Amino acid sequence: MIAVLALIVGVVAGLLLKPTVPTALEPYLPIAVIAALDAVFGGARARLDGIFDSKVFVVSFVSNVVVAALIVFLGDKLGVGGQLSTAVVVVLGIRIFGNAAAIRRHLFHA
Amino acid sequence: MTSPGRRSLNTAELLLAELVTNTLDPGYAAAARRREQRGAESSPHPPRWHDHVAIVVGCLLVGFVVVIAYVHQNRAAPDTATVHDALVQRVQQVQASTDQVAAQERALAANVESLRNAALGSDGGLSAELQQQELLAGTVAAKGPGLQVSLSDPVAPTPAQTAGRKGTVPVGAVQVLTDADIRSVVNQLWSDGAEAISVNDVRLTPTSAIRLAGEAVLVDFQPIASPYVIRAIGNANSLDTAFASSSIASRYQTLQGVSGISFTFSEQTSVTLPGSSSVMPRYAQASSSTTPTSTPSSSSTPSSTGGTR
Repeated sequence: MIAVLALIVGVVAGLLLKPTVPTALEPYLPIAVIAALDAVFGGARARLDGIFDSKVFVVSFVSNVVVAALIVFLGDKLGVGGQLSTAVVVVLGIRIFGNAAAIRRHLFHA
Repeated sequence: MTSPGRRSLNTAELLLAELVTNTLDPGYAAAARRREQRGAESSPHPPRWHDHVAIVVGCLLVGFVVVIAYVHQNRAAPDTATVHDALVQRVQQVQASTDQVAAQERALAANVESLRNAALGSDGGLSAELQQQELLAGTVAAKGPGLQVSLSDPVAPTPAQTAGRKGTVPVGAVQVLTDADIRSVVNQLWSDGAEAISVNDVRLTPTSAIRLAGEAVLVDFQPIASPYVIRAIGNANSLDTAFASSSIASRYQTLQGVSGISFTFSEQTSVTLPGSSSVMPRYAQASSSTTPTSTPSSSSTPSSTGGTR
């Protein structure tokens, strides 16, 4: 409940503040979004599994974003930024998909 | 995957299987295990003060990041549209102001002319001479019989037009005509005895240039577009016959059949050409101070009027 409220507050804050993203950080924004979604789905699944841990949630979110951005940054420097961001999206996408399937199993028992 | 299944997986396959099957962050399981080790006898969920704070902060961040990305992504597209619109608007604005200034300039020139005519009114000879010079320089509107030549690009490369063999018509060649075509027609008209020429209502002066910039033909730095109408004043009959028999005309008649341009020319009983804004020569000076206007080659009469006084 409090998580949903906080999510809504974050959305509203983002809409109201409309922060301008520095152009240097622009390529990492989509990656950050994927990492954030992964953290959310992981947290939801952990909660349904009964092993949710707030510390793990926050740390995994932050580290996911940072590591994903770092990988893409490194790839950009080495000339394989596009491929590496694809790799990050694939890995995180698989995780999101698996977590969503687990959540579905929990909720609908199907 | 044929017989034993599990054991035949090598490292890479294990990695992939791990990726697909263990989608949950291993941190959760580890934390749960730690909790169990710490105290299985205590309550299963010991409320810690930072639990709620961490969840709130995390969810706040997630929502924030997602919305920023969304807003950013959707703002970029309208931004480019806005920039484009602004540029178009600016170009239109500047064009309008150019037109306005040109109109103002024409009005002022007319004013100057009337004032000058009033001043020169007593001496008819001088005024007539001035008018002739202005006509030659193309600074005043001119009227008279002449010829009108129209050239225009093919409308659209429709498949029906490609009646001939494949390859005879360049597909997608919408812009066939360039500055060279306009120039050759204009040159032909001059050599046929035209006294004044305008291209799409831009009067040609002794300093006019017809060039190509990007995809636009520029006449005296004014862009003109496809239906090119070239009007010339002169002896309508001789202009017509001379132009019709010229190689230029036959070339464009051929091109008309081949590449689908439209090319027509017709004798006109009365053509009105606009005046061009006068260009004052800043560097060129008459080589002798009192050169008679009738003879541009000043070397012919060196003795009588030569020398600076």
